[in-house]
Amino acid sequence: MLRIPFERFRLDNGLRVILSREPSAPVVATNLWYGVGSRDERAGRTGFAHLFEHMMFQGSEHVPETAHFALIEKAGGTLNGSTWLDRTNYFETLPAHYLDLALWLEADRMGWLLPAMTQAKLDNQRDVVKNERRWRVDNQPYGDWDERIQAMVYPPEHPYHHSVIGSMEDLDAASLEDVEQFFRTYYAPNNAVLTLCGDIDPAHALARVRHWFGEIPPGPPVPPIPGVTELPPILGAPVRQVVEQDISLPRVYVAFRIAPFGAADYYPAAVAAYVLAWGKASLLYRRLIRDLRVAQDVTAYAFPIVVGASMLVVWATARPGVTADALEAALDRELATLRNVDAVDVERAVNLIEARQLSELQRVDERADLLSMFTMLFDDPERINTELDRIRAVTPRAVREFAESRIVEENRATLQYVPRK
Amino acid sequence: MSAPARSQPPSPGPIRPFAFPRLERRRLENGLTVIAARAGDLPLVTAALLVDAGAASDPAGKAGLAHLTARALETGTRARSAEEVAWAFERLGVEFEAAANWDAASAHITVPAERIEPALELFAEVVRSPVFPDHEVARLRDEQLAEIMQRRKEPRALASDMAARFIFAPEVPYARPLIGTATSVTGLQRDDVEAFYRAHYLPNTASLILVGAIDIERAERLGRRFFGDWPPATPPTTEFEVVGAVRSTTIFVVDRPGSVQSEIRIGDVGVQRQHPDYFPLLVMNTILGGAFTSRLNLSLRERHGFTYGARSAFIFRRQPGPFLVQAAVATDVTARAVEEALKEIALLREKGASEEETAAARDYLAGILPLELQTTEQLAARIGDIVTFGLPDSYFQDYGASLARVTPDDVHRVARTHLRSGRLAIVVIGDAEQVTGPLRALGVGPVEVHRVEE
Repeated sequence: MLRIPFERFRLDNGLRVILSREPSAPVVATNLWYGVGSRDERAGRTGFAHLFEHMMFQGSEHVPETAHFALIEKAGGTLNGSTWLDRTNYFETLPAHYLDLALWLEADRMGWLLPAMTQAKLDNQRDVVKNERRWRVDNQPYGDWDERIQAMVYPPEHPYHHSVIGSMEDLDAASLEDVEQFFRTYYAPNNAVLTLCGDIDPAHALARVRHWFGEIPPGPPVPPIPGVTELPPILGAPVRQVVEQDISLPRVYVAFRIAPFGAADYYPAAVAAYVLAWGKASLLYRRLIRDLRVAQDVTAYAFPIVVGASMLVVWATARPGVTADALEAALDRELATLRNVDAVDVERAVNLIEARQLSELQRVDERADLLSMFTMLFDDPERINTELDRIRAVTPRAVREFAESRIVEENRATLQYVPRK
Repeated sequence: MSAPARSQPPSPGPIRPFAFPRLERRRLENGLTVIAARAGDLPLVTAALLVDAGAASDPAGKAGLAHLTARALETGTRARSAEEVAWAFERLGVEFEAAANWDAASAHITVPAERIEPALELFAEVVRSPVFPDHEVARLRDEQLAEIMQRRKEPRALASDMAARFIFAPEVPYARPLIGTATSVTGLQRDDVEAFYRAHYLPNTASLILVGAIDIERAERLGRRFFGDWPPATPPTTEFEVVGAVRSTTIFVVDRPGSVQSEIRIGDVGVQRQHPDYFPLLVMNTILGGAFTSRLNLSLRERHGFTYGARSAFIFRRQPGPFLVQAAVATDVTARAVEEALKEIALLREKGASEEETAAARDYLAGILPLELQTTEQLAARIGDIVTFGLPDSYFQDYGASLARVTPDDVHRVARTHLRSGRLAIVVIGDAEQVTGPLRALGVGPVEVHRVEE
């Protein structure tokens, strides 16, 4: 039973604050989640939440350009930010005696970002982000898989239909007015969770948080997520795409709509991902790689996303000489066996999840990110201690029922990559 | 409470010293070194076995054998099949991993402290009595061949492989990929794996590293129980000299038609880990390209927007590994990006760095060490480096002081000595038709255009 300690507070301006003491090393992780992600982007501005994240590192009223990175690195710390479907997070991990530095920097860009924004900075970061897209997606074998899978699993009116990185045209269209409007809409204390984890005295830390963040005014109520967020539990009919690329080996992705992260029905899917493809005793490794030798690698992943529906994505790369169709047929046959999964497969999966989770919790930055996540998504930081109970409670029968209702033809999106001739 | 003074960064509080984990070691009668370090607040133990069986020991013509051998360890023992091994580990929630780098091979597991005994017993069985079933070794060899094929289509992997090939003379092991070449791996047989294992997996050149909720007494008892009767033997020696392939700076374009980005690598033969300039080099490289606010990243990314990120590194091995600058840049700015990167290298060579820049780099490196030792896996890996390179057990404790001694003069000196701008291998994986002309126009050296061999 995990017992990660924490205290939670809410400032008058709405900022949620989680403080978690972990004194074994004199370091502190600062982690700030904003409740905005690519799901909140409007039509014609895909990729904007992420481009905006880049602008957050370009200085603010009291922080010169590049000083954010320079000050943290000089202090002996690491930092970054990331944007995903449901959120944008910003984090610094640094020696604990520099806590004020991290709070000052985060408060300044939460309260005083706009005076530092210029067209030149936007144009520069637009180029950086376009190069990030080329690097991750356009110049990378299979690099556009998530973009394609999201578009197949979610209808055009759903906020997960488009990718986080966005399109080149939409990145080109982003303006300084967009930056200002986005900031005023989403970047406010009432739409954020701040977690501090590490060698802190919670009373002192709370006083410092109040000191730096207390006078930032709340923003207006956050608008609802755009588009249609309700979805039928399954796709209704299978969809498929075949893509030719400059690759040496075919790869097959199959995705299924599943319950959103946090719902009771989500956990059998999370366990199923481990049953299928985590470890060398997993079902797909055993069958596709070791016995049949049709696959080079296998992966399965349940997305921890919350709007309307999540997805389970499974993929395998073909061995040389094996066609995408042959691999897909073999993958199908194995996926069908999930309906009769053995208890021992589920036990193995649960034990692996538990061990992996425990290992990740050794890091204060990981603890801080999870505390922010559970607070932002479910208003329940205690989930950092109880989430594993939900995994442990998954029975073989629950996995079988999940497979019968969701791992079905009418709920399947298939994406094949084949080598260009 | 007073209103916050926001116009200046707040001053730090009093520094709290980091108590680095203490390493303790014992040597068993068969020569096995047992190292323990107590660390962390969670009931976890990482166990790692480090053996002197890296890819530098691959026999002539058998490149990729060390990698294949490490990967094949878990494919069966005298008592269990590959599948039984996987089941036995994973039902305990344990993932067994083994890999070879150039200098060593290592196998490791992380396990809840209360299951360390059964897990370590199984671990010992796997690493001490592998039988290398023919069909499993053949499968792994074919996977390795397929991976070699895939690396030719993946621009980052291709760039690393080609950089190594152009930096080092062909007879140097570092000139080819660690996983081998299509030709060398095609020829690997089960008996090669067994012979390599017998020659190199020996207790007298191995270390058992136990990190986490464990002390040296328990570590020694466990080591003795599961590895004490592992018979020693005379280890083979591996000797080679590292020689560069480039006489004067040359640009090697590897054609990838239609590429929307160019993967750039600017490389040279670097220095070995035990070199006395190690700490000055770390500081110098941090200034050049080892941090976000390094000169290369601020220029290529923040000033010019050519790339998502630019960095540099000296890759330290027992023998001199490569020095590499790397960035993926938009195709149309390829030559300009190379030019800016070369400018930064030349500037650091000519002018060195200021006291302020040197201090920032020292403080960055000293500060992030604790952040890189948060998990038992991270700590076990760093202890592995201490063993591989024969560093003192007080290495972590001395780290800050070693950095603090580095002066701006040292930075300038090692920049002049180790950044040899006249004999660089500049490798560009990109669309040759678009990038070759502008690269030639730079006038930094001859431009050779290569194709990717199928």
